[in-house]
Amino acid sequence: MAANPMTQFEVYRIGPEIKLGTFDISFTNASLFMVISSMAILIIFFFGSKKNSLLPNKVQLLAELSYTFVSKMINDTAGSKAKPYFSLIFSLFMFVLFCNMFGMIPYAFTVTSHIIVTFVLAAFIFIGVTIIGFIKHGVGYLKLFVPSGVPIILLPLIIVIEIISYLSRPISLSVRLFANMMAGHTMMKVFGGFVISLGIVGGWLPLSFSVALTGLEILVAFLQAYVFAILTCIYLNDALNLHH
Amino acid sequence: MPKDQFKNRLEIAKNKLTKRNLYNETENASSIGAAFKLSTELVSAVVVGTIIGFILDKTFGTKPWLILIFFFLGVVTGIMNVIRSAKNMQR
Repeated sequence: MAANPMTQFEVYRIGPEIKLGTFDISFTNASLFMVISSMAILIIFFFGSKKNSLLPNKVQLLAELSYTFVSKMINDTAGSKAKPYFSLIFSLFMFVLFCNMFGMIPYAFTVTSHIIVTFVLAAFIFIGVTIIGFIKHGVGYLKLFVPSGVPIILLPLIIVIEIISYLSRPISLSVRLFANMMAGHTMMKVFGGFVISLGIVGGWLPLSFSVALTGLEILVAFLQAYVFAILTCIYLNDALNLHH
Repeated sequence: MPKDQFKNRLEIAKNKLTKRNLYNETENASSIGAAFKLSTELVSAVVVGTIIGFILDKTFGTKPWLILIFFFLGVVTGIMNVIRSAKNMQR
């Protein structure tokens, strides 16, 4: 085990090197864990929706619980207009949640602790929401940048500020998830290292910290997936119901 | 059962449902979501403002000025975002 707490974030190639032009699209450990988490979601929902018994077994209960949870979340934050986008938000939530949770298994790789992964997710949400906004409201969507009741002299300044605010959404969305995951996993590794270096005499205190941190990290893993989904709902709400 | 009576009952039931939803919203974990939102809102606006300033500086060749202006605009935006989210939370 390496002492460096950052080696856990290392991406390495599994299998042969595949090149597409100048891009390296080889299968890495990051891709492996993405595949694993998507497969786990698919398997749970395949077996959860197969039998449809009135008295659900554990897998069906899990599937139904997550369904109602996300459905309620969308209803609360974005209203009934956002119902058609349920599948998008549900798959996003489940993917982020499973990536986070699989990262909690020892020796596993946390996909969401890499900013490029979270940023791509956030960028697609950002582009998608913008397109939805323009489809729903046409050019009127640009009114989002012009709040009502602003004096004309201040208008150029406000528009620039609103544009910066709008562009900062994918950054804040991706950095939040990435920073939380990376900081948590680094901290766990650091405390784990303390246990080894202090040995049997002084290692008990960092070990108890480590246990507590693991619990905290599981909470954070769930919470960050939840926040990611709920902010997607909020942005969707802004695009669907245009009022400031 | 007369149709009017049924409609009436349906209306009452629907009202109850929406009321319960609203009640739950104030209580459940969405307030934690709002709290997490605030922390990064401030920083990301500054980052985006600085990046815009940097790009504009490169294209127009006005080296230090636009990045300075847009940095402070980013700070203003971040503070405005936080105030706006806080207002939304209070509602």
